[in-house]
Amino acid sequence: MASSDLILTNVTKRFGGLVAVDDLSFHVQEGQIYGLIGPNGAGKTTVFNCITGIHPCEEGSIIWQGEEIRLLPTHKIVQLGIVRTFQTIRLFGQMSVAENVMSGRHIKSKQHWWNGIFHTPASRRDETENWQAVFELLEFFELRDYATHTVGSLPYGIQRRVEMARAMAVNPKLLILDEPAAGLNDNETLALIETIYKIREQGVTVLLIEHDMDLVMEVTEYLTVINFGRKIAEGTPSEIQENPAVIEAYLGSEDDDF
Amino acid sequence: MQQLVNGLTIGSMFALIALGYTMVYGVMKLINFAHGDLVAGSSFVGLFVFSQMLGGEVSLFVVLGVFAFTIVAIALLGFTIERLAYRPLRTAPRLSAVVSALGASMVIQNGIMLLWGPQMHIFPELIPTIIWEVGGVVVSLMQVLIMVLSMILMVGLYLFVEKTKIGTAIRASAIDQDAARLMGINVNNIIVTIFLIGSSLGAVGGLFIGLYYRGITFNMGWQYGLYAFVAAIIGGIGNIPGAMLGGLLLGLFNAFIAGYISSTWADAFTFILLIVILIVRPTGILGERVAEKV
Amino acid sequence: MMKKIQHIAYPLFFIVMALLPALLDSRWLVVATTFVIFTIVALSQDIVLGKAGMFNMGQALFFGLGAYTTAVLNAKFGWPILATLPVAILIPAFFGILLAGPIIHLRGDYLLVATIGFNIVFVQAVQNNLGGITGGPNGIFGLDMLSFPGLASFEHFMPYYAALAALFFTLFVINNLESSMMGRALHYLREDDLAAGSIGINTRVHKIFAFAMGAGIAGMAGTMYANQYSAVSPEAFDFIQSVLFFSIVIVGGSSVPGILLGVFVMFVLPEIFREFATWRYFIFGFAMIFTMILRPRGIWPAKFGRIPKAFTEKGRENGQQ
Repeated sequence: MASSDLILTNVTKRFGGLVAVDDLSFHVQEGQIYGLIGPNGAGKTTVFNCITGIHPCEEGSIIWQGEEIRLLPTHKIVQLGIVRTFQTIRLFGQMSVAENVMSGRHIKSKQHWWNGIFHTPASRRDETENWQAVFELLEFFELRDYATHTVGSLPYGIQRRVEMARAMAVNPKLLILDEPAAGLNDNETLALIETIYKIREQGVTVLLIEHDMDLVMEVTEYLTVINFGRKIAEGTPSEIQENPAVIEAYLGSEDDDF
Repeated sequence: MQQLVNGLTIGSMFALIALGYTMVYGVMKLINFAHGDLVAGSSFVGLFVFSQMLGGEVSLFVVLGVFAFTIVAIALLGFTIERLAYRPLRTAPRLSAVVSALGASMVIQNGIMLLWGPQMHIFPELIPTIIWEVGGVVVSLMQVLIMVLSMILMVGLYLFVEKTKIGTAIRASAIDQDAARLMGINVNNIIVTIFLIGSSLGAVGGLFIGLYYRGITFNMGWQYGLYAFVAAIIGGIGNIPGAMLGGLLLGLFNAFIAGYISSTWADAFTFILLIVILIVRPTGILGERVAEKV
Repeated sequence: MMKKIQHIAYPLFFIVMALLPALLDSRWLVVATTFVIFTIVALSQDIVLGKAGMFNMGQALFFGLGAYTTAVLNAKFGWPILATLPVAILIPAFFGILLAGPIIHLRGDYLLVATIGFNIVFVQAVQNNLGGITGGPNGIFGLDMLSFPGLASFEHFMPYYAALAALFFTLFVINNLESSMMGRALHYLREDDLAAGSIGINTRVHKIFAFAMGAGIAGMAGTMYANQYSAVSPEAFDFIQSVLFFSIVIVGGSSVPGILLGVFVMFVLPEIFREFATWRYFIFGFAMIFTMILRPRGIWPAKFGRIPKAFTEKGRENGQQ
């Protein structure tokens, strides 16, 4: 099997007359912690939407594990091992934390459709195994005490952890994080950095969008910088910090502490 | 050819009713299920006004009185429904408003039944039965009146929406309520206006139905209401010329099915047409495709 | 706490329901049987509307398909009623898949109108004696009753107990659904379709499954209905009935007690208070409006938290609804 690399080549996405992603190419290697940064409105989330099949791109190629995934539907892409979290947190608000994380186990379950009507000893075993996996994840993300809480009523920082736990429940090979530190305080951000390292130790490649530059410089190994949908630079964090084109792009915007 | 005349007559009535649906849906994204029952109600109110209030003798004055009273009454009823059943749910999820609309529909429909009983009533013959024969086709005064009056009303509404300030405000609110509010448009008043206009047009439609079909029952609201709604969808829901076009087309379609296949299959074919349109071109004939932002 | 109440309530309910015929005269037995049958249909509606969140206003269509399947197989082909039951489940389920397929992607209110459309087409097709087998506007009558050898003396009670058995089966199956991946998937896609897709759930397939399962159960209720009246007719499956089942689930709430309450108020209460009967829909209409304003999730909403007890005891209890 080809290595779990994600390769974007000349990806372009248009919304009517607006070019949101413009001829973008980058290469995420297996095991990397890769960052995609740029000023607000640069098109970063759109790139993620392209990769995950929510808004398929019109041109270019997206190769994952050696296969073209550009036109696959979202759920198929997840089955191939790519899971993403959302900038705005999309959890199942009226359900409990445990049930939310359990949703991540859906494609790992060996149940058949008829188990929705009749249980079998095998389906019962599958249920137990999956709940077990869910509670192990809750331990990992320190969410044990919130297992039965309704997710919608929990603080933002905890909801973010639940979303990550849910994503990890799918056992992804590539985890795509869309602004995971948004809304977190300094302590929570430190904890997030730790979590990202621990995730990578388990063999998961991480691709993230982030505005918090401290986090980006600390945690990522390689970056692509985009503005107006186009790549303006790529390199290691220290290279990017000194890149004049990047500095110019950010000087225009006021929301990143560079 | 005969079917063409019949179809256009029925189509005009559908169009008048469809306008009520499409205007409300355009701004509020809500299917006003109670609208059809308002239309039914207008037939009964017209009957009541004629026989109980104006003495039961036909004259031009009486006919005008019937129309005037009925339109005002039904417009008020429409206003009340908006206030009681829809306004409290402006910010609620869509499903709540749908259910409330169904509830309002039930209330009105059964209100009619409780007041007038479940049996069929006969609407008075306010227009004398005068028939002409033109080239093998039978046309009645009633049909001509319905078509002409409907056309006048529809053109009037079109000009109102396109040329006046209020009309522009309506169109703006239909595109983006929040943006309209930010522009200083009082969206609440616009919504009230829409309900008043839509209900009035529906009232006229209901009176025409009474005049044309003569037999009216309390539960005919859903019958005509659904048809009119189908017409609105075919033309493009939220689109005023669309509702007019859809109404006429559906009337023609209905007449042809009834004339050439069988009237017992008219409903089935109409709804098969609706389902096909929903699958193939849900925005209707004149509607625009709007991309949904994630 | 809720789990303990459930452990008492369900057996109690069934004991009461099983003993009921001994206390009722034949008129009330008919009412009770209708109550049970309509509860089954409402529960089937809940799968599609309450759990999967799809605006289905055509459930009477599947109810009618099941009833007519039984009627046609029995009256025209001489099948015993019991033998028609599996077919009366499978044919509606099949149509559930067939009809849901092309419309499942439609936005809420469009889906609603499409399902009404299907219902209307069905009723009119049946009224027009489609294929010469559906009997026209008067329907089909003179059906056999469900009977078991040796229980002939209980024939009077057969429709009721058959319906009750079907209800028991329905609740059993729904319970299985709620503690399975398929069942949870329906809740996920109702809460957030995009998020559900983003963790790998094929929402389209699951939605069609919900439709099919709801259709099959409604079909089973249809057999019970045909059995009760020994006849079927088109008006019983008019889309207005669908509106009622839809409203019962929304106003009563997407829970078993809520649905029982809704069916009771709509169908049993008017029998108890005859004067109430003509006012039934008028009052229900107001109830719908006020419930949506005051209690949007229904009088007895659904509760989540179906987590195996073995795990929750380790977690803290507070926070569970």
